[in-house]
Amino acid sequence: MAVREVKEKIVSREFPEYIRETNPDVGLDESIKELTPEKIEKAIKAVIGARSSRIKAIMETCIHCALCAEACQWYLSNDKDPTYAPVAKMRMTIWEMIKRDGKVDAEFIKQCARIVFTECNICHRCSMYCPYGLDVTFIIGMVRRICFVLGVVPQRQMDQDHAHATTMNQVWLGQNDWLDTMQWQEEEVGAEYKDLRIPIDKEGAEVMWLPLGAEPKTGIYHIERTAKIMHVAGIDWTVPGKDVWDSSNMPMFLRDFATMNRIVRGLYENAIRLKIKKMVLTE
Amino acid sequence: MFDFIKDPSLFNLVRGPLVWVAFLAFIGGSAYKVYYLIEMAKKDKTVLPYIGMKPTLRSVLHWLVPFASRNWRMRWPITVLTFTFHIGLLFTPIFLLSHNVLVYESWGITWWTLPEGVADIMTIVVIVACIAFLLRRMFAAEVKFVSFSSDYLILAISFFPFLTGFLAYHQWLLPYKAMVILHILFGELMLIAIPFTRLGHMFYFFLTRALMGSQFAGWGSKDW
Repeated sequence: MAVREVKEKIVSREFPEYIRETNPDVGLDESIKELTPEKIEKAIKAVIGARSSRIKAIMETCIHCALCAEACQWYLSNDKDPTYAPVAKMRMTIWEMIKRDGKVDAEFIKQCARIVFTECNICHRCSMYCPYGLDVTFIIGMVRRICFVLGVVPQRQMDQDHAHATTMNQVWLGQNDWLDTMQWQEEEVGAEYKDLRIPIDKEGAEVMWLPLGAEPKTGIYHIERTAKIMHVAGIDWTVPGKDVWDSSNMPMFLRDFATMNRIVRGLYENAIRLKIKKMVLTE
Repeated sequence: MFDFIKDPSLFNLVRGPLVWVAFLAFIGGSAYKVYYLIEMAKKDKTVLPYIGMKPTLRSVLHWLVPFASRNWRMRWPITVLTFTFHIGLLFTPIFLLSHNVLVYESWGITWWTLPEGVADIMTIVVIVACIAFLLRRMFAAEVKFVSFSSDYLILAISFFPFLTGFLAYHQWLLPYKAMVILHILFGELMLIAIPFTRLGHMFYFFLTRALMGSQFAGWGSKDW
């Protein structure tokens, strides 16, 4: 029996050049069913209106020269398909929203979500190639926020955002699990290094180490290795015993301002509480 | 057919009141445009506090000097094209002998002028560059996808003053008087259009570069 692989293609209704493979995602496909034209218009106006000077400067300066295209890894790795150019992403999302004064439908929002969440890494490289230094990434972020406000976000990213909003880390790790993991790792490494400690909540330490959420959850060896490095280097260090300790801040990528603000504030509050001098973050 | 052109009142209109209208719209409109954006930016907490003088100057200079930024070096044909175009566009009208004579006739002041041959070549460069930009807009896929009628319009607005000026200087195609009137009208149209179209990038360039240059300096990185 011959195996036939039929790859379905989606052709955009507004932009016939925008052709992609299907990519089902509950976060996009299901959430757009809740949208109404009024909701969409309200969200677009709320987000764009609040930050208009930067948007105005970008919209009224961009001369549509497409010199930003060569900066984009999506454009370069897709055979220079013009729909992956940074300026094209603005054209297919925010320009269209402004042109139609926010009167777009749910299908259009879904297409925007696909463009801004899955075809841009917010790396700012296009701004380094733009003769005017226009912040294309800022525009992408604004469109992400519109999609986030409307709840149209890829499921995985929305889940990470919910995890941060609920537990202040991206992996649903409770505070007792976090402390337990630290103590368990201290015991593990203790077999190799005499007097090795993972100091929790040590006031006045030189350095506070803030891991990514995945480290205590799935990359536990990172904690062991960090502890060894700190111990051998003789650094006076500590980890926070209270939330927030996860520095990954996934809500930033959705432009969920409320949660991203809580995380950064929490990190600094820990630093002030423990009177530490430096924060060391995993990247 | 061109009898109406012999009527001196038409020439007096475009040479007199319309020049005032054009310059007032250009200067007033541009000043208001810049002022309005800065006032708007004051309301946005994340713009003005980031801007620093030193990174702004560094960023602006690296993009105003040919080949001083990475993208200018990578895309050298476009760099040559855009720099010769903009130099011609900006300096030919200011330092043209005939324009100086007009100012001298009105106010009795004059300044340094270009030799006529040089000015002629610079005009040809602008005309050729406009055609090159048009072809790029029509045939380069990434540019074509983001081209609107407004893009062709602003290209035309900058093209026609130079074309008509060139034809008038050489007295080709139309009677001299007719071509000069057309030339003045297109020139006035361009001046008026600058604050109200994306040609305003001649002022916004410095503002957007100020923000981006300062942000990149904050991140410890260059934006050129």
